[in-house]
Amino acid sequence: MASSAESPHEAGKQSFDIVSTYRSLLLSDPELTMPVAAIEALVSLLQNSPSLSTISEILDLLASNAEKLKQSIANPISLSAGTDLFQRYIINSLQRGGPAGAAGDFDAIRAHLLTNGRLFVARAKEARRMIAQTARQFIKVGSTVLTNGGSRVVSAVLQAAAEAQIKETGAPRFRVVYAVSASYKNSYGDGGDTAEGTATVTALRRLAVPVAMISEAAVAYSMGQIDVVLVGAEGVVENGGIISRMGTYQMAVLAKASGKPMYVVAESHKFVRVFPLGQQDIGVDQNVLNFTTKVEEVIETGLLTPKANFASRRIAGESITPDLDGSGYFGKDALHDSKNADFVDYTPPGYISALISENGVLTPSAVSEELIKIWY
Amino acid sequence: MPPAETSQATHDTEPKTSAQPSASQGQPTNGSTATHPSTPGPSSVQAAATPPANEEKLSNAELKKRAKAEKQAKRAQKKADEGVPPTQTGPSNPLRSAQQQQRQRAPPTPREASIPLPSLATTRQQGRQTQSQTRPLPHRLAHSTPQSQQETQVVENKNVALFEHLYKQPRRTTIAGVSKDVYRDVLAEGKSRLKHYAEPADNIQMIESYVTPPGTSLPRNLTLLLSPQIEYLGSCRSLSMSTRNAIRWLKLLINDVDIETAEEKAKSDLCEAIDNFIREKIIIADQLIASMASSKIKDGDTILTYAKSKVVTKTLLQAHAQGTKFKVIVIDSRPLFEGKELVQELAAAGLDVQYSLTHAISHLMQSASKVFLGAHAMLSNGRLYSRIGTAVVAMNASKLAKPVIVCCESIKFTDQLALDSIVTNEIVPPNELLLPEREGQERKQALASWRELPNLQLLDLMYDVTPADYIDMVITEYGSLPPSSVISIYRLSLST
Repeated sequence: MASSAESPHEAGKQSFDIVSTYRSLLLSDPELTMPVAAIEALVSLLQNSPSLSTISEILDLLASNAEKLKQSIANPISLSAGTDLFQRYIINSLQRGGPAGAAGDFDAIRAHLLTNGRLFVARAKEARRMIAQTARQFIKVGSTVLTNGGSRVVSAVLQAAAEAQIKETGAPRFRVVYAVSASYKNSYGDGGDTAEGTATVTALRRLAVPVAMISEAAVAYSMGQIDVVLVGAEGVVENGGIISRMGTYQMAVLAKASGKPMYVVAESHKFVRVFPLGQQDIGVDQNVLNFTTKVEEVIETGLLTPKANFASRRIAGESITPDLDGSGYFGKDALHDSKNADFVDYTPPGYISALISENGVLTPSAVSEELIKIWY
Repeated sequence: MPPAETSQATHDTEPKTSAQPSASQGQPTNGSTATHPSTPGPSSVQAAATPPANEEKLSNAELKKRAKAEKQAKRAQKKADEGVPPTQTGPSNPLRSAQQQQRQRAPPTPREASIPLPSLATTRQQGRQTQSQTRPLPHRLAHSTPQSQQETQVVENKNVALFEHLYKQPRRTTIAGVSKDVYRDVLAEGKSRLKHYAEPADNIQMIESYVTPPGTSLPRNLTLLLSPQIEYLGSCRSLSMSTRNAIRWLKLLINDVDIETAEEKAKSDLCEAIDNFIREKIIIADQLIASMASSKIKDGDTILTYAKSKVVTKTLLQAHAQGTKFKVIVIDSRPLFEGKELVQELAAAGLDVQYSLTHAISHLMQSASKVFLGAHAMLSNGRLYSRIGTAVVAMNASKLAKPVIVCCESIKFTDQLALDSIVTNEIVPPNELLLPEREGQERKQALASWRELPNLQLLDLMYDVTPADYIDMVITEYGSLPPSSVISIYRLSLST
């Protein structure tokens, strides 16, 4: 977020559209997360900008395009984790010196950056598999897991756990309770296929894992039968709290009140240097509380219409086409579920028992140390 | 500290006699550098002569307790004086001012009361030696000799027992007796520190004066030369965390100077490094913190702050200058009233300020949206060591789930830790708690003669420790972090 919008470098802009590259990357691979897609987009940006001749030009170009990307979507937290990390990574590898560092000739530097950038993307993709291997041990035989949202890491973890238990005992011996946002029913009426996480539920049921789908309003009711809460995150913030799908915070509060452990699975490229002090300080203007006295609003827009709010904000601010399909958000999944996909909330670190990243199991307070390691 | 505990502890050590006001403050008690029954009445002599029996009367538990307290105090003291030889005398000194007057005459003696001092066998010391050997904690004696109660004119110990170890901290009041090696600039700095209890965040600047005057000394001698300066500063008031960090850094720097380096070059290098250090660690750090912290202030916020911190002041002024519309509540406390200064500054800048004392905290906290606090030090366990009263403010904020933000330069980070405000602290002469006498006032202030009132002790501490649970965010020049990361930033700042 250190990047500035008014970067002087405009050369790459005409020939290369970072936003469309980013979108097509997301659409082409449903397994891709926003930060990784952003990093990949930046790598191909470097590749497609042969006119660069100085390091500061590279940095300017990266900064301006990262900012453009952030502007193009409503909630840039997850994305900015990727772009910030990549920018930092580039600076670090430039500072290192040697033939590929600041001392070397410029083409070598560029080649080095490109290979490094690819390596970076490859590692980020590998992370999910590693997390699944670690986190599945937290799902004990006979336990019931509560989850929500459309996190691909959570999905990977649950499937890995099912597969591991099938291998050991012949059948998966845990159950899943999937809290589904109530508002999608308001928007679609028919529910069913359109629910976020439907793909995960289907995959789990195919593996013979019993899955119950409940509305978010039923979380407190069900909590007594839950053994462990497992959620993904859009961003892991500096104090170890998470920014995640709206409803995660209240789930965390309920879990804590019932004494159930809550684990967060997130790749370390989602660690972001953001430090919210509360829900209003996330850095995204969500306008959740939309007070009105117009009676017809209820009928027109339902209870939760982030789309309307975001669209108005974006159209007012910039010339970028509103991301009405929500694909900027959660990739392909979100295409079907744009109505409620956009809202996020912030869960303070006190509610989180542990964070599981590809670097292992971390306490929330270790996040800041990981970030310090990356940044200094 | 919970009041219940205080009162209990106080009660516990209370002498049963009603103390006579004979040796009230400032009375130059004939040569007794040390402690106390300074009025040499016949009965007190008698008391001093009968001690072994009294000593035996103490129960084992009591002895143990006392030994433990002494040990703890010693340890704290040692830690506090790192590198500073003990300049302080004797066991518990009930009469601070008397002691202070005497200190310049007193040669440095070991703190340990029970160690005999054969080499210092002047009559004065002898007298003290007997006293300290036989009656390490005089009020105990009074307690255990009921038969002599009626006639004994024992001076009541006016120190709060739980904080006994803190009274031993040096506090120099005059410059008499200072080693001639101490430079004039340092002397002046020390003197100003006596006047201003508010520790200036940048008192590292004094180091500049250590180095610039050394004249003809070689770099190697510099370290030797430094110790009396540091010792002197330490004797004025115990050194702050930032000063200690800076001194440690400076000593390392001097040690690293190549002995071959030409003197002029070594000196200019050192001065440059010191200048850079001050710029980086204080001036730039403050600016960075202020700009980061002011971005946390949003339109419509009500910021609550306590006493006065330089960085917080800067932050508020910067946020105001940036055009953010917010209100400020300044909570202040006696006897320092540092907040008044802050209020003036803010009001002069055109900010909307409300001022109140700590008693209104639970009420005012409800209208606050964020709390900004300054720091004297950030301890390695994430706790905040700051002006006394900070913990109450932070506790109230966290009870109402208001975010508590600490602004603190990384130079104030330390690897020390504290669990309470008892072991490490600083005591202010309790007279400062009294209200000043007003002109033409008929009645005296209620506590004006508190030293004569039996069973009364006043306690005025400088700092307290705020638990890490009450702190949401620490803003340093490295960025904002949770209090749990203090130790990693400390390591980081050591390495850079």
